[in-house]
Parts: sequence; structure tokens; C-alpha cells
Amino acid sequence: MKFKKLFNRIESIRLEKVTKRYGDRFAVRDLDLEVRGGELMILIGRSGSGKTTTLRMINRLIDPDSGRVSINGADVEDFDPVRLRRSIGYVIQNIGLLPHLKVSENIGLILKLEGWDEAKIRERVTELLNFVSLPPESFMDRYPHQLSGGQQQRIGLARALAMDPPLLLMDEPFGALDPLLRTQLQDEFCKIKKELGKTIVFVTHDVNEAFKLGDRVAIMDNASLVQLGTPEELIFEPSSELVSEIVDSKRKYRHMEVLKVRDMMQPLDPGYFLEGSLPAEIALQKMVDGGLEVALVFKESGAAGRISLNEVLKAGKTGKNLNEISKPLLVFPADASLFEGLTQLKEEGESMALVLEEGMPAGLLFSDRVLQGLI
Amino acid sequence: MVISAEILEATLEHFFLAYTALLAGIIVAVPLVLLSLYSERLASMVMKFSNLVQAVPSFAVVAVVVPLIGIGFTPAVIAIMLRVLLPIVKNTYIGLFNVDPALIDSAKGIGLTEFQIIRNVRLPNAYPAIFAGIKFAAILANSIAVLTALIGGGGLGSMIFEGLTNFNTAKILAGTLPVIGIALFLDFSFSVLERRLTPEYLKNDI
Ligand SMILES: Nc1ncnc2c1ncn2[C@@H]1O[C@H](COP(=O)(O)OP(=O)(O)OP(=O)(O)O)[C@@H](O)[C@H]1O
Ligand SMILES: [Mg+2]
Repeated sequence: MKFKKLFNRIESIRLEKVTKRYGDRFAVRDLDLEVRGGELMILIGRSGSGKTTTLRMINRLIDPDSGRVSINGADVEDFDPVRLRRSIGYVIQNIGLLPHLKVSENIGLILKLEGWDEAKIRERVTELLNFVSLPPESFMDRYPHQLSGGQQQRIGLARALAMDPPLLLMDEPFGALDPLLRTQLQDEFCKIKKELGKTIVFVTHDVNEAFKLGDRVAIMDNASLVQLGTPEELIFEPSSELVSEIVDSKRKYRHMEVLKVRDMMQPLDPGYFLEGSLPAEIALQKMVDGGLEVALVFKESGAAGRISLNEVLKAGKTGKNLNEISKPLLVFPADASLFEGLTQLKEEGESMALVLEEGMPAGLLFSDRVLQGLI
Repeated sequence: MVISAEILEATLEHFFLAYTALLAGIIVAVPLVLLSLYSERLASMVMKFSNLVQAVPSFAVVAVVVPLIGIGFTPAVIAIMLRVLLPIVKNTYIGLFNVDPALIDSAKGIGLTEFQIIRNVRLPNAYPAIFAGIKFAAILANSIAVLTALIGGGGLGSMIFEGLTNFNTAKILAGTLPVIGIALFLDFSFSVLERRLTPEYLKNDI
């Protein structure tokens, strides 16, 4: 193979004081942004805010007027643009499949230009088609015009992955699809994202898409970066009116799927916990002294229980301990999805659950409180 | 019998003249336009020049060649070539430049060089337009080759003009009918070729 990839792993992508102007208008102005290796960074913002320009400065489709773009510490200006682009996958909304080439030829174009032999190209194309869930035998020989929008988009992704680049740049890849199809492809992409293990910079208009796919989200406005953070950070600590407008943080329930149990749990007073091995009699004394209506027990195994003053009273003389008389309590890890947590509460007919942070009790999740918090 | 041998000879001469000129036109036009992809100045010069030649009446183009390079076969070829340049240049130009910018963009984005973009994206996209230009140029060459008989190009034009000066109807027809025949033949054969060469993805649109 003639070609060696410029990098096999992305440690970081850095944009430092990057500016690009057209005439006297800034497309990107003094932008500082760091993409970490392995993350999926979303660029979101209104039309014309500079997302595409930012993205295209990474693979040198646009060269900045000033400032520096570097990958793994090396200035991209020092790379040959063609070699650079072959080391980076690129997917755009208009896909840009060549209409006169079959699907297999479209996917294999760069491989062919790289001098791979036919058999190897075919093998790789087959592998890629399987990866994007299109049966190779029925899609290999089709022309792009014989494909639906969603299928074309999959081929676009397969083509971008042909050289197995460690970095993918995606510019509104699902932007032209109808909502149902878009959701489907997002779901699939979410799954393969982990499998891919690549660093991805992803431009979108759609905040739901951003929160669904992004590890971190960069909000751009007016050629500048406004705020960068995880979806939770943006929802709970928007730095400006604009951010809260974009992420719609006033209506947090919209984002239930991206929220974690942690985001909505109530802090927990350690005073509620009693040793499970305590006999009911002694526990009763403690609860009365401490003014507790209800107590919690937490077992080594990670299971937990809840018990009311009344129940302790009733068990009073039986000699049983708290472990025996407490009712089991649902337990969620703090990073479980809020949506799944609520669903499980509802299924079990429970109204609360204990939340564990690194295996230790950290808070409580109440279904009714969550709903109040979200609306 | 004498007449038919003469007609055959004139027809062949005509054919040869028109197609040498057409070929010369293609050989000059296509590379010029390809080079224009690299230089906007060249592109605008090429377009201006061929538009200018187009604006001048065919007869004047044929005539103006004489004081510059004289009479005979070669001047006739050059006169026809100048005349057919425009349709070829213009169509090639349109075909190469009117490519969906998203196609060029994504080709560049996945790492094609400028040359590879011309070779793999622009040219395949331009074939139908280039072909339409050549078809038009071929038919144009056939009719201008009649005029160039006036400057010693020979061919069927000589018979027609001879017939016209002598009011010899048989001779006029002997000259014009083959010209019409050639025109019909060209139109037909190019249409067949066109259908053969049209890429799969465009067939539905025709
Ligand atoms: N080639 C160009 N010539 C002139 N102006 C340009 C060019 N490319 C971008 N711009 C301008 O720069 C600004 C940023 O454009 P950019 O394409 O980066 O925006 P975007 O955030 O991607 O917008 P969208 O969401 O509409 O795709 C816009 O005002 C745009 O009009
Ligand atoms: Mg854009």
C-alpha cells in the first residue's frame, strides 16, 4: 500500500484562536476548541454560526486566516491536504455519491486510488456494507439513484470509513432525512459509535440529536463558541439566555433520555441509615431519639431496604433484625438513564429508589419529585 | 455512370473534409476546456473567442480564412474547425463546470486530488453534454463543408455551386441529396451511439 495514515489514534484536536473571514464578515472568530481523543463532539448553533467552517478547517477544506489547527500536536498546515483528508472520514448532508459509479465503486474509490487490488477492495466493501446494515449481495451493484435517502446516507458513512480513519467529520449527516428515518439512523449510529471507537466531530441543528449522540456539545453563535459542556451541564447550567433557548432547558423533560438518575436525585442525609443487623427493639429506640419516621438499610451486597417507624414498632418484640423486616428498595447506579429509572419505578409500582455513586448510597430518586423538577 | 462515380468521389471528399475538421475541433477544444479548469482567465478567453466566432456568419468565417492562409483543403479544414469549436467548447465547458458542487466537495473531502476529481467526477458527468456538442458540431461541419467549396475545399459543395451557375438541376440534386443523406445518417447514428453511451443513471431521465 502506497499510503500510510498520518495518525492511527487521535489524542486531541486543537483549534487555537482560529479566525476565518469572508469579506469583512467573520465566519469563525477567535475560536478556541479542543476535541479529546475518542469523544463525539457536537457542534450546534443557528444557521450561519460557523459550524461547517469550523469542521472544514480540520481537514483543510478551508484554511484559516489566522490561528492554528492541530491534530495530536501537529499543525495541519504541515500535512499534505490530500493525505490529511484520506486519514479523516468525511460525511456531508448531500452525501455526494458519484452517480455514475455503483455502490461498491463509490465505497472503494479511494481504496482503488490507493492502489489496493480488486479482491481486497471487494472484501473491504463487503465488510463495510455489513457494518452499515446493508446486505452486500443486494447493494453492491446498485447505482446511487436506486437507493433511498437513508440507504445513501449509510453508503456515505461506509465510504467515509473505507480507509478506517481514526477521525470522522460529519456535517448534518441526517439533516435531510424524515424524522422517523432520522431517529432510526441515530439509534443505529449510537450503537456503532461504540464499536467504531473513533473520534467524531458532528455538526447538527437538532438539539435532540446533539444530546442523544454527543459526549460533549459545543454551542456556537455568531462565529464564536458560546458554551461547551456535557448535555447535563448545558441543561442545568446554561451560561446565557441563548444557550438555554437552544437547549430548551426550561423544559427539561424534553431531555429525559439524556438525563441521568444523578441529575434528578435528592441529596440523602446519612442519618437515615441504620445498621441492618440491629434488632428491631434497639432500632426503635434510635428512630425515636433521632425523630425518624422512616429508616433505610444498606447491605454489603448492594441491596437496600426501607422501613417505617410503624413497622419497627410492630416487629418490636419478635427479636428480628432490620434486614429481616425491611422492605426491599430499588437501587440505581447514579449514571443510569433517568428515563429507564422512572420506567422501572413505574413497573415495580415503587415511588422511590436509592441511588448509588460508586457503590455507595448518594441520594434518593422520587418519581413525583422528578416530574416536578422536569416541568 | 460517369455522374455516379463523380458523386461518390465528391461525397467521400466531403465526408473526409468535414470529419478532419470535426476531429481537429475536438482535439483543440477538449484540452483547452480541461486546461480552463485550472485558470479562470483562460476559461473566459476560450469562451469569449468561441462566442465571437459563433457570432460571425459562417460565410464570413469561410471568406476571412482566404486572405490569412489562402485556399485549398487545409484552409477549408481550418474554417470549418473554427466554426464547430463553439458547440464543442461550450458543451464541454457546461458539462465540466455544471457539476453539483456537493459532489466536488465530497470528492475533495474524501481525499481526491484536483486531477482525480476531473478524471473521476467532472469528466464522467460531462460525457453526455460533450457528446451532444459533438453531435451538433458534426451536423454543422457537414453543412459548412458545402460552403468551403468556394475556397477550394472540394467535395459536394463544388457540384452544388457548379450546378447553380449552370442551372443544371441534375447536378444540384446530385450535390444536395448526398448532403441531406449525410445529415440524416449523422443524426441517426449519433442518436444510436448516444443511447449506447448514456450512463445507466441518466437513462430514466431521457
Ligand atoms: N464560501 C463562502 N463565501 C462567503 N461567505 C461564506 C462562505 N462560506 C461560509 N460563509 C459565511 O460564513 C458564515 C458561516 O458559515 P457556515 O457555513 O460555517 O455556517 P453553518 O453554521 O455551517 O450554517 P448552516 O447551519 O446553515 O450550515 C455564514 O455567514 C456564511 O454565509
Ligand atoms: Mg453548515
